[in-house]
Amino acid sequence: MLILKPKFDFEISVEAEITPALALATDEEISNYQVYYGKDKAKLSDLFEISREGDDAKLLLDGDFSKVKWIGARMDEGEIVVKGDIGDHCGAYMTGGKIVVEGNALDWIGAEMKGGEIEVNGNVRNYVGCAYWGNMTGMTGGKITVKGNAGNYIGEKMGGGEIEIMGDTGDFVGTEMKDGTIVIHGNCGFVGGDMKGGTIKIKGNFELVPGFRKVEDGFEGDVNAGGKGKVLQL
Amino acid sequence: MLHIKNGIVIDPKNGIDAEKMDIFVKNGKIVEESEVKGDVKVIDASNKLVVAGGFDMHAHIAGSKINVGREMRPEEMRTVRLVAGKFRASIGRVLLTSPAIGYEYAKMGYTSAFEAAQPPVGALHTHEELDAIPMIDKAALPVFGNWHFVLKYVAEKNWEKLRTFIAWAIERTKGFGVKVVNPGGVEAWMYGGNCKSLDDEVPGFGVTPREIITALIQETENLNLSHSVHLHCNNLGTPGNYETTIESMKLASKFSNDRRQVLHVTHVQFNAYSGSSWRDVGSGAAEIAKYVNSVDNITIDMGQPIFGHATAMTGDAPFQFTLHKLTGARWSNKDSEIEGGAGIVPIGYLPKNPIHALQWAIGLELGLLVDSDKVVLSTDYPNGGPFTEYPYIMAMLMSRKMREKELERVSPYVQKATGLAAIDREKTLFEVIQMTRSLPARVMGLDSKGHLGFGADADIAIYNFDPLTVDVTNDFETVYKVFKTSAYTIKGGEIIAMNGELVKEVWGRTFWVDATSKVEMEAIESDLDEMFSKYYSLERQNYGVEESWIKKPERLVMG
Ligand SMILES: [Zn+2]
Repeated sequence: MLILKPKFDFEISVEAEITPALALATDEEISNYQVYYGKDKAKLSDLFEISREGDDAKLLLDGDFSKVKWIGARMDEGEIVVKGDIGDHCGAYMTGGKIVVEGNALDWIGAEMKGGEIEVNGNVRNYVGCAYWGNMTGMTGGKITVKGNAGNYIGEKMGGGEIEIMGDTGDFVGTEMKDGTIVIHGNCGFVGGDMKGGTIKIKGNFELVPGFRKVEDGFEGDVNAGGKGKVLQL
Repeated sequence: MLHIKNGIVIDPKNGIDAEKMDIFVKNGKIVEESEVKGDVKVIDASNKLVVAGGFDMHAHIAGSKINVGREMRPEEMRTVRLVAGKFRASIGRVLLTSPAIGYEYAKMGYTSAFEAAQPPVGALHTHEELDAIPMIDKAALPVFGNWHFVLKYVAEKNWEKLRTFIAWAIERTKGFGVKVVNPGGVEAWMYGGNCKSLDDEVPGFGVTPREIITALIQETENLNLSHSVHLHCNNLGTPGNYETTIESMKLASKFSNDRRQVLHVTHVQFNAYSGSSWRDVGSGAAEIAKYVNSVDNITIDMGQPIFGHATAMTGDAPFQFTLHKLTGARWSNKDSEIEGGAGIVPIGYLPKNPIHALQWAIGLELGLLVDSDKVVLSTDYPNGGPFTEYPYIMAMLMSRKMREKELERVSPYVQKATGLAAIDREKTLFEVIQMTRSLPARVMGLDSKGHLGFGADADIAIYNFDPLTVDVTNDFETVYKVFKTSAYTIKGGEIIAMNGELVKEVWGRTFWVDATSKVEMEAIESDLDEMFSKYYSLERQNYGVEESWIKKPERLVMG
């Protein structure tokens, strides 16, 4: 297991595309691993204290990582545990493995992910499992679980997999969703605009866009997009 | 001063086909050996191909369309090509930022690129953007085919006013020539319609595309502008449209010019479909090629699609709407006051999609079947795809073997709908150099471009490739790779790129054409005042671009 601790409070963003595979590299490779501090190139060891415990493919990020972006992006196996908060794009494009965030997460968690698991104990901000702007499809596989609340745009253009939010969310849940499942245990705002397929289950209150019609077990739409998505009460 | 030594030169305009010779450069021009003395930098070009810098005469590199494309396609702007340092940051997948456009052309050995559709009212914006493109020489063609002045003067058959207006408009926009996009059709689109045939009447004006095209050729020739009328035909992107294209070409038959063509028909691939619907659509390339080869006053460019990402952006607003309805992709519509409009729609060309494969095959058919002194290589960037894939087109035209290999991965629909598989013609390296250098320069009427004769601009590309030993028909992979990045790109006598790396940033010139001395402005003064006060959103005095606002203007006075 590779353990990283921030050496100081970051004033600006750090971009660090680190996956658990880094734990298998040599000490020198890890120390020299290139990241960005703002627009400047930096070595991993410039910004973080690095230590090891055992040699499994696991990362432990200990401290405030809320300014650190792209952690776990494109990872395919292994595990990442974040002891504090995590920054934008955590687990984007990931295909396998597991990320556990004990604090809160910012935007774009699990964006366009294809497989694997993400668990957040705190709250997340916007764009959970979404498609990046301009792209056609958001997450297509795997599971994102959030124990707290989430912001706006959950599962936009989602094409598969599952998102479960234990708390409340904001507006635009499952916009242009094509497949997969979103489960919300709390309340949320507008749901299902231009939804084409997939299922959204909600326990609390929600608002439907006008393009949905009542069916036996809930609502189907968005008819404006010729959609057959389902919005159901849990 | 430069001495390019022992290179193998291909220079079609001067009839040089793979001869070992030396080239000398002084003050940005190609000169005789005797003029170069003293401090001379010698470039060893042994076993290397030496040609003029490439000339892209039809691309969309500046102006409101490409900028809207950048805005509406954030996914295009995530490819980082160059981090800021000695050069400017440059990004983009197919839609590039302004610096990236100049850099990518330079790396490929291209030294000139012309913006093929400038909305006149957006001329200042277009020139600001051209001024942000380093490395290459530039120009822009304002669009005339739907401008109310043009429609009015054609309806009145007032040729003096039309001629005067053309000269006024090109001067005000600091433009290069007369571009015509779907004449009449874009005005009809203002009312939700289009002009699909040459005899459809333009609403409100009582004129037809036939009359507009004929009148614009006539007055462009009376002004004897550097470039001919540059036509994007009516009925673009429709099965059966090849007949409209040939009919449009025939409108030029009563005109001639001993310097150049009198009509350039652009991105003909999009206007070369036979059939009556998308179910039975086929290729009309052979018929078009037959016509173009039979006359000496028409040139065309290919508009070759490249498999992968592209963005359709044309002044043909109704076509762009049709494309949006066909593909369901995002759509942006633009209106440029009383001058015309435009539209932008993302597109991806997929080899297994029968229509896309058909378009790909038709582009190649045109490139192969039309004589090499009449067809220019183009992708209509970014409509057909990236200009950085020109080497793919060059290699495909020269190698039947490569085409056979590529045909295996595309939809079998092309086998029955086009004649591509049966074409055994292979263009020579000489011809491909002609289609990318000397011909586009001649089409644009620029004597100093596209060749290596004495007095020519020292825009030179050197490639790591010996035409005397490499077999272009079999070794197509080498050909493709070699033309992607030059060994040296020389612009105005300075080395700007080497082996795919930028060496020096230079700023090319912006050519514009001044024909105002051939007309009396008095003829249209009161019309201008009246139209501006009635219909434009800006005052006449604020319209247009002053020469001093352009970084490096080059005024070409029409004598
Ligand atoms: Zn074009």
